[in-house]
Amino acid sequence: MTIGTFFGELVKSLFKRPATERYPYDRKPTPERLRGKLHYDPEKCSGCQMCIRDCPSQAIELVTIDKENKRFVMIYHMNRCTFCDQCVQSCRFNCLDLSSEEWELASLQEEPLTIYYGRDEDVQFLLENQAEPGTEAHPCEE
Amino acid sequence: MEIKKVDEGKFVVPIGPQHPALKEPGHFEFTVDGEIVMDAKVRLGFVHRGIEKMAEQRTYTRDLYLMERVCGICSHVHGTAFTLGVEKLAGVTAPPRAQAIRVIIAELERIHSHLLWLGVAAHEGGFDTLFMYSWRDRETVMDLLELLSGNRVHYSANVLGGVKFDINPVQTDQIRRGVDYLEERTQFYQKVVTTDNTFLGRTRGVGYMSREQAELQGAVGPTARASGVTRDVRVDAPYSFYPQTPVQIVLDDGGDLTARFIVRIKELFEAYRLVRLLLDNLPEGELATRMPRRIPAGEVISRVEAPRGELMYFIRSNGTDMPERVKIRTPSLCNWGTITSTAVGLKLADMPMLLAGIDPCFSCNDRMIRVRRAGEPGVMTWDQIKAGKGGWSV
Amino acid sequence: MSAAQAWLTLLVFPGGFFLLATGLLYEFIDRKLVARYQNRVGPRWFQPLADVVKLLAKEEIIPTGVEKTLFIGLPIVGLAGALTAALYVPIAGLPPAFSFRGDLIVTLYLLSLMTLCLGLSGANTVNRFSIIGATRTLTQLFSYEAPFLLALLGPALSADSWQIGQINDYAINNLWMIVTQPIGFLVALVGLMGKLELPPFDAPEAETEIVSGALTEYSGRGLALFRLGKDVELVIGLTLISALYLGGLANPLEFLLKTLCVLLVMAGLQSLFARLRIDQTVGLWWRIGALLALLQLLAITIGKVLL
Repeated sequence: MTIGTFFGELVKSLFKRPATERYPYDRKPTPERLRGKLHYDPEKCSGCQMCIRDCPSQAIELVTIDKENKRFVMIYHMNRCTFCDQCVQSCRFNCLDLSSEEWELASLQEEPLTIYYGRDEDVQFLLENQAEPGTEAHPCEE
Repeated sequence: MEIKKVDEGKFVVPIGPQHPALKEPGHFEFTVDGEIVMDAKVRLGFVHRGIEKMAEQRTYTRDLYLMERVCGICSHVHGTAFTLGVEKLAGVTAPPRAQAIRVIIAELERIHSHLLWLGVAAHEGGFDTLFMYSWRDRETVMDLLELLSGNRVHYSANVLGGVKFDINPVQTDQIRRGVDYLEERTQFYQKVVTTDNTFLGRTRGVGYMSREQAELQGAVGPTARASGVTRDVRVDAPYSFYPQTPVQIVLDDGGDLTARFIVRIKELFEAYRLVRLLLDNLPEGELATRMPRRIPAGEVISRVEAPRGELMYFIRSNGTDMPERVKIRTPSLCNWGTITSTAVGLKLADMPMLLAGIDPCFSCNDRMIRVRRAGEPGVMTWDQIKAGKGGWSV
Repeated sequence: MSAAQAWLTLLVFPGGFFLLATGLLYEFIDRKLVARYQNRVGPRWFQPLADVVKLLAKEEIIPTGVEKTLFIGLPIVGLAGALTAALYVPIAGLPPAFSFRGDLIVTLYLLSLMTLCLGLSGANTVNRFSIIGATRTLTQLFSYEAPFLLALLGPALSADSWQIGQINDYAINNLWMIVTQPIGFLVALVGLMGKLELPPFDAPEAETEIVSGALTEYSGRGLALFRLGKDVELVIGLTLISALYLGGLANPLEFLLKTLCVLLVMAGLQSLFARLRIDQTVGLWWRIGALLALLQLLAITIGKVLL
């Protein structure tokens, strides 16, 4: 039966630095396995769309421009992504990867959160086509 | 505006759905006579999200992540319950290494959940110093989980048929160091909650529940074990890797709030022991086996021990890649009865701690329950539900 | 005393502006110390001021079912009482602005006025949390007041005076009364914490039970005034205890050092305990506090008779 079991701890804390991390000023290194922004390598992709079937939040879309020549564009909606790693697990060709560096992804607008992956000319081709009405390609949405 | 008068000198104190004591929405009505609580009512259902219905329109893989989001604190254990159920339906067993990693993550999650609870309960009792210290130390286990999985909260360790990541020797060392530190800290917290007079003054003898009462009310988890009920799924029906690493059930006969503190803190020690044991005896092998996309038709009940008690999943498959029905029974739901029965006669000031004593998770609770009385039909039609008839409550 | 001097005394020093500024500063120091005891960073130096400015700028909602005059008037009376009390204590180590025989008792009752206003403002509304908070505030007032008063009477008896200025002088020229009357010091310190509703005696405003107690319905100006009143009370309480028990306050430096030392101890006590239930608070004060204070008084009387 005691009173003030915390006394020793309190005195120690008075002479200790606060445990609070001063986040935007002091940054701790991120762990190796941190799940951040999704990266896509179109060169390895076979267009099997397994990642899209398994994505729990419908955050990725794949637009096939030319399957024979392996021309794909992946539209990644970062605002929907839950960073669960399921797409990476589902991909048999290792063309997806979650970055451990890019994780401060918040944005007030939607545009920076929609990312087009693919060869530059393919992305250009897709964006030009999308600009025309009626040709929007959203294979993932019902 | 008038005060809702119940009786002369008595009035109803509403707590919630918006109240500083509640971190999630719930509604409680305490009829008080001065400071003494005469009656307690619980009303839940403010964060109903329709997860069970949603699950019927998604594939099993996508459901897994939905289930993790039933609860933000015990996400892994929900995922594990679902995965174990689906694996059983498909007739697949995850490799032993995957099972062991699942258990390690589950025990780390239990540590994080119990430390979080310790802080919340202390805060409800107005002991903010204990709150701050226990949450500071909880960061250690959060960092360990982030180290292993890459996420602090939704670890998403499971895939159907195994786990996503391995534990390498460097991480093993880090976990060991973290667990050693936490064990030392937990010993201090044990000293605080068992010997500090001001704290004991708020917990000892408060909310006493006898073993018979606990069994009658259907209490589960640490709440039941603090009343001496031997109920722990890890012991009663070991799953995953628990048969190979037996758990020693933590019991206390106190039945009051002090006992609930003691049980949870002793469970922390048990979790530290289990994590160390598992790290020493991590079986070699694959991390995942192949899983069919279409799950054979059938029904399964999957039970696991969440930090709050027994968690039950019922899954029915119709042979497609989507479940026909998923029913979740969360542990918090079973423990509400103990609140309304033990609250009467206590002081109003005890209520926040009594509520915190069962470690309630409100968003877990928000599913429909119906108490079926003898002779009533077991099936309800939509019209009955809409009309609010038939003794159901959300 | 000329009119200009009187205005200066009332509005700038030690009455108005100086006291409010010191109050905010001491609130900051208290919050910072508690934060450091809890291994946190704590607020920045202007946080209490920013809080008050923000509250003053906000709309004051007058809820349905209250007596409007009382609702608006009570915070003003409370703060005014606390500010008036400052005229009789040696703020900043300088002699009190006003002084007469028996001003110790007047000061103590001016300080209680604040608590009374708090209780009345809670009872004035129809909010259930406020009413419970008001009941608890007044219950607490009745429990700590007697031991607190008795504890402050000890130095008065030793100094043979009921005038704070004279007790202060006596304390400066004699052995510190914390040495001769340690029990009285302890009771007075803890009594001050009860008066200010600091943890562990914060049952009247326990946020996890009754939201904000008697102040639940207050917003904007009223809330700001009550908070300022509490800050002022904190400074006066610290001054009183330092003057009476810690060898008196002879100059501003001594004032600063001694009050901050008491604050350091008080912040430690705030973070050391779990909140007491109101019945535990009452029990503690009447069973232990009052008894100890009486014992102390008895010891002083016996000492005086024998010497």
